[in-house]
Amino acid sequence: MEKTLYQIFKTFFKVGTLLLGGGYVILPLLQSEIVDKKQWINDDELCEYYALSQSVPGIIAANTAIFVGYKLKKTPGAIVATLGIVMPAFISIILIAKILEEFVKMQFIQSIFWGVGIGVVLLIYLAVKEMWEKSVVDKFSCWIFFITFILSTCFKAPPSALIILAIFIGLWVQYQKKIEHEEEE
Amino acid sequence: MITYLKLFLEFFHIGLFSFGGGYATLPFLYHIADVQKWYTTKQLTDMIAVSSITPGPVGVNVATFAGYTTAGLAGAFIATTAVILPSLILIIIISKLLEQFRHNKYVKSVIYTLKPAGCGLLAAVGVNMFINSINLFGIVLLVGLFIASITEKRDPLFYLGVSALVGLIAGFFNLTG
Repeated sequence: MEKTLYQIFKTFFKVGTLLLGGGYVILPLLQSEIVDKKQWINDDELCEYYALSQSVPGIIAANTAIFVGYKLKKTPGAIVATLGIVMPAFISIILIAKILEEFVKMQFIQSIFWGVGIGVVLLIYLAVKEMWEKSVVDKFSCWIFFITFILSTCFKAPPSALIILAIFIGLWVQYQKKIEHEEEE
Repeated sequence: MITYLKLFLEFFHIGLFSFGGGYATLPFLYHIADVQKWYTTKQLTDMIAVSSITPGPVGVNVATFAGYTTAGLAGAFIATTAVILPSLILIIIISKLLEQFRHNKYVKSVIYTLKPAGCGLLAAVGVNMFINSINLFGIVLLVGLFIASITEKRDPLFYLGVSALVGLIAGFFNLTG
């Protein structure tokens, strides 16, 4: 199928609408929409964009859409892909938020939220487990995990301060490696 | 006007610093609840519940919702735009320099330390949500869901659907308080 900006927007709007229960289903959805049906990119490219999306800040599903959009039609493609993936979320929340103001005090809505809140705790656990498998690869990364965890839970450290700290540690680790490497030579 | 500007800056900063997917925005949103007082922790927990069962990436939903709660429709628009803008700018730049980005040792090293940090932040949110919203019956539900998750890999919607239903039923018997 032709890769017009309108087609790109429409495809990502559809994917955005089908994204329920977290962005983790973006990969199978994109595989079916743009690899199998439209054949805009191949499976290897998609998997690489998905992996890259996790090394960039922001929401992974949106990041993947932006990478694919850029690949298809450069900057305009990236912009329409973003609009497509974001609009269903935006529209549904605006509609629901208005209604919810009326209903949120009702007991049965609160009961449902209570249940969903516990479901979310499980989803967070599953997300942490998956991230742990990919990120905690040795003793050093294990230390980073626990230090971040403790500073955040016990001391309520601002998340961005911890992220900046991690960035500096990463740069420092590589700098040390470089120095060692030079000394060996 | 100042509120809009503050809102934009807060959400731009979330988009720039959250690592590890949609739920990775949650530590920042809880921090905002503590510091800016635009919404309460209880309100945020409700927003997360709604965001999990509406179409779209959870991170976008919850940003739209938090923006709406803070400053209405304009707030929703500003928060959504601001949270996505860093990704858009960064990825356009990275796509242009893809080869250099992929093989740069400093980039690799930073990603190596950022991933466990993002994971630790998310684990902290999970623990806080667990402590804030749980009671005896909640633990029973969570253990049930946990067992369901280790026996078979299921769709996230399955857990949310089951827990919504259990919540609804538990509400009738006053077990959710």
